[in-house]
Amino acid sequence: MRQFIARRFGYSLLSLLLLSLTIFLFIRLTGDPTSLLTEPGATEADIAAVQQKFGLDKPIWVQYAYFMGSLIKGDLGESFYYQTPVLELYLSRLPNSLMLATVAMAFSLVLGIPTGILAAVKVGRFWDSAGKLFALLGLSLPSFLVGLLMILFFSVYLEWLPSSGSGTFLHLLMPAFALGWYFAAAHMRLTRSSMLEVMGSEYIKLARLKGLTETRVIVKHAFKNALIPVVTLAGINMINMINVAVVVETVFAWPGIGRLLYEGINFRDFPVVQGVVIIGGSMIVVVNLLVDVLYALIDPRIRLEK
Amino acid sequence: MRALRSVRAWLRDAPAIPFLILGLIAFAAVFADFLAPHDPQFGKLSERFLPPFWIERGSTAHIFGTDHLGRDVLSRLIFGARVSMVVGFTAVIVSGVVGTTLGIVSGYLGSWADQIIMRVTDAWLALPALTFAIFLAAIVGPSEMNIVIILAAVYWTRYARIVRGEVLSLKEREFVRLAIVAGCSKWTIMRRHILPNVINSSIVLATLMLGIVIVTEASLSFLGVGVPPPKPAWGVMLADGKQGLMVGHWWLTVMPGTCIMLMVLAANLLGDWLRVKLDPQLRQL
Amino acid sequence: MQIPATTDNAALLLTRRTSLGLLLSGLIAGEITPAHAAAQGTLTIAMHVSLAPTWFDPGETTGLIAPYIVLYALHDAMVKPMREGNPAPSLAESYTASADGLTHEFVLRPGITFHNGDPVTSDDVKFSFDRYRGNSLAMLRDAIASFETPDPRRVIIKLKEAWPDFMTFFTGATGANWVVPRKYLEKVGDAGFKKAPIGAGPYKFVSFDPGVELVLEAHEPYWRRSPSIKRIVMRVIPDEATRLVALKRGEVDIAYSIRGELAAEVKRTPNLSLKVAPDGAMYWMYFPEQWDAQSPWSDLRVRQAAAAAMDYDSINNALNLGYSTISGSIIPRNFQFVWTAPKPVFDQAKARKLLADAGHPNGFDAGFYYCDSSYANLGEAAVNNLAEIGIRTKLRPMERAAFDKAFADKRFRKGIIQGSSAAFGNAATRLSAWVVSSSPYAYGAYPELDELYLQQSKEVDIAKRTAILHKMQQIVYEKQIFVNLWQLGFLNAAGPRVGEAGFALIKDFVYTGPFEDMTLKAQ
Repeated sequence: MRQFIARRFGYSLLSLLLLSLTIFLFIRLTGDPTSLLTEPGATEADIAAVQQKFGLDKPIWVQYAYFMGSLIKGDLGESFYYQTPVLELYLSRLPNSLMLATVAMAFSLVLGIPTGILAAVKVGRFWDSAGKLFALLGLSLPSFLVGLLMILFFSVYLEWLPSSGSGTFLHLLMPAFALGWYFAAAHMRLTRSSMLEVMGSEYIKLARLKGLTETRVIVKHAFKNALIPVVTLAGINMINMINVAVVVETVFAWPGIGRLLYEGINFRDFPVVQGVVIIGGSMIVVVNLLVDVLYALIDPRIRLEK
Repeated sequence: MRALRSVRAWLRDAPAIPFLILGLIAFAAVFADFLAPHDPQFGKLSERFLPPFWIERGSTAHIFGTDHLGRDVLSRLIFGARVSMVVGFTAVIVSGVVGTTLGIVSGYLGSWADQIIMRVTDAWLALPALTFAIFLAAIVGPSEMNIVIILAAVYWTRYARIVRGEVLSLKEREFVRLAIVAGCSKWTIMRRHILPNVINSSIVLATLMLGIVIVTEASLSFLGVGVPPPKPAWGVMLADGKQGLMVGHWWLTVMPGTCIMLMVLAANLLGDWLRVKLDPQLRQL
Repeated sequence: MQIPATTDNAALLLTRRTSLGLLLSGLIAGEITPAHAAAQGTLTIAMHVSLAPTWFDPGETTGLIAPYIVLYALHDAMVKPMREGNPAPSLAESYTASADGLTHEFVLRPGITFHNGDPVTSDDVKFSFDRYRGNSLAMLRDAIASFETPDPRRVIIKLKEAWPDFMTFFTGATGANWVVPRKYLEKVGDAGFKKAPIGAGPYKFVSFDPGVELVLEAHEPYWRRSPSIKRIVMRVIPDEATRLVALKRGEVDIAYSIRGELAAEVKRTPNLSLKVAPDGAMYWMYFPEQWDAQSPWSDLRVRQAAAAAMDYDSINNALNLGYSTISGSIIPRNFQFVWTAPKPVFDQAKARKLLADAGHPNGFDAGFYYCDSSYANLGEAAVNNLAEIGIRTKLRPMERAAFDKAFADKRFRKGIIQGSSAAFGNAATRLSAWVVSSSPYAYGAYPELDELYLQQSKEVDIAKRTAILHKMQQIVYEKQIFVNLWQLGFLNAAGPRVGEAGFALIKDFVYTGPFEDMTLKAQ
């Protein structure tokens, strides 16, 4: 067990290292990283300072050491526009992103789990087909389109909901739905397949043999077990939601990480763009590690597989 | 003749809807110059915000209305089909070729090659796709060509992972072992024996990826780091149209939005069908 | 630009030796009745640009005008452009210049304090100037021989030689005479100051959430008058349509920059009012290839054809509801020393003929049309008009900072550039920024213009100087160095709660201000 965790941990570290190397190399791909790392209109002195900081006159592996050195210290650079450390900016927007992701997750589960169960119980029949259609639409309607159509309907015609901005719970409804929509389809698909698997298992047959009502079998036994993979996926998707929200946050002017990234593009604020991508990638590596370790703790078979 | 018959048999149960949609979009893309009633990049300011023809003030000269510069929406949609098709297909093909090749090499050669490729794949898979694409776009700047490269760089890992898994199981199969015994070189085996057996999975995956790639391209264009503005990409049209949405110019959002949705829907339907048709094992995708 | 020049205010001081400051402060007292009621209510402004912490520090002003939105609230200057005139005495109650124009003396008002209660002294003024590192710094440093503070209320600046435009640069075109508290700054440092700035302006800093909002609160003991609104919130809403919707829903009270069809919507909506600041930024086309004999643009007729190809009124009507002003010069009509150029006329037939005469009957490919992306719509319209006479260009919109840098780095050697400026100044400063060969934005030079510029910069006689500057503008016009597209009528919107919105009250400034004059309607 300990050995598995150690190895898994090692892989994650390696992933993080490769991730930083990737980012580092891409920045140097253009030939002259100075133009990305300095503000448009920077003075000679500013340029010299940046070259000093990143060791840009030194060989490339030394440059990488500089880069990693500052990353390990948690130094993601300073935003050109806001003149604030990127990490600080990121953390100041994170609560907004988490709030959006939480509500979006709630939407996606409320929408995805019941439809998934229904589709599994009525497999091959009308509700199953309806569920499939829903899943297909979820995958095919990009979140920004859902967002724009909702603005058209709920803000422009009905004038029920604020089209964008932040401040009240009402502001949160549309962006959360637009963001949760895609994930609802994913959660529905997983719930369905997970339910089908559990429904075919021995102990469900046993439960039926015991003469329990079908509803009781589904709710008390099948659903509880089918839920585990769905909850795991939902956990991972929370992180994904923070990272894919850039379009939704732009449509609704929601001040989270996504809009920070958008501002980074717009102001040519490269440290911000770089910081968001590094933190995003690292979060996913860490969450994958946690999930694997937790699974290994719960289910010993996984350990043996490796 | 026999080949033709088998193609016909194969197509007989092909789903009509996705083929129809993709065919229509491809047709528009190829013949855009003849089909478009107006120049997609120029318009008259005096004809701004004309609604579609069936609404009061609209006219049949601009069937789907005009945008904030008086440009014909239909013409822009038709030329936009070209952007989506070219970017979508090229990106899918480039990433497919790169990913499949690396997947085969990784799976078949094993040892250090496998370690390197798979560790890189894992690390890149951890990067959130859209954020990664935006990061790359911020480095290389916007152009159609760059978007293709960016999308390929972001999505090849998906192929590499799946193909490698398939290769690992193929490696243990009888015909591969026979080829090794017969003295075929590693490259020959990979090309002649492994590739034909994984190509189906790659194609299925590519079809499913088409939808994702198109959405990503539209998202990048919407955010202003995709296809640069005067080009009529659907994502750009959506971004331009948002302004008008607030004062009720719905057609500027709904028209390009519908096009994106139909194209993605078609790609997904086609992917689902191909998955069952070519490779029932790929259900889990 | 190391060449000095003149303003007529300074010239007035030189000749009459009057204390213009005292005169003006007398006028203010009669014009503005001080508000005695305590400040109340909150006014929220939807900003079209994202607020940056550098804007909290007057020591870092650039040529951009937007940071002054915040400066006018948080800080104050000895002398600054104001409702009463440009320049107008502010923290200084008076300012005088010696007959030779070499000595400028400022006397601070008695009893004024920063937001933290520290008194504003001449020492703070000198400290602020010493730490100033914004635009035109070298020019000011080079011109000043000594900066003396004989007593806490007196500042005496001595110049090395007479510089008629000293006041234009010192009090208008730069942030050099805006005052920051020395004691506080030395305690918290530059970074700390940007996190919690303290100034002497009508509003004090409460909180700032980068990219989201800035909250300000009335500084009631403000010298000019006590602000009537308790809180001002500047909320960043980069999307134009979103700003309008927020205004409609009453989430904000004022929305900056609402253009075109959205402005039309404002006019249609009861309760909302469109606020026009007529003397906004100039926008023009610039032809960097005009000095290249191989290029079609080197032919005057081609540039004139471009001028005749623009459908000025339609563009203005469609994009700005007709509120912009069409003029033939890049110098704003409200500026000192402006020469009124003939108004350009849209005449496609003439444009085609000029083009044919120049040897391009079928037009030509002109490469890219570079512009700042926030005015890409103007660029698109211009590209359209050019195409109609056969000059084919491709629009290349860029984000403002990147565009500005590339422009100044001379990376647009081919094609057409859409230039613009909203900076404070006068005709001489604009000519120096865009025409004279030493400007970073000039891609070529006409020697006679450089020669004239040098002449006027040394000319102390106001009438003669005006004549030279008029002649320069005339040459710029005749050579069609630029095709001026419009002087933007800056459109904004205000909601039902707003009394005085404050747009364009300050001379040559299109945003809201002075903040202490803004009001909410009584409930």
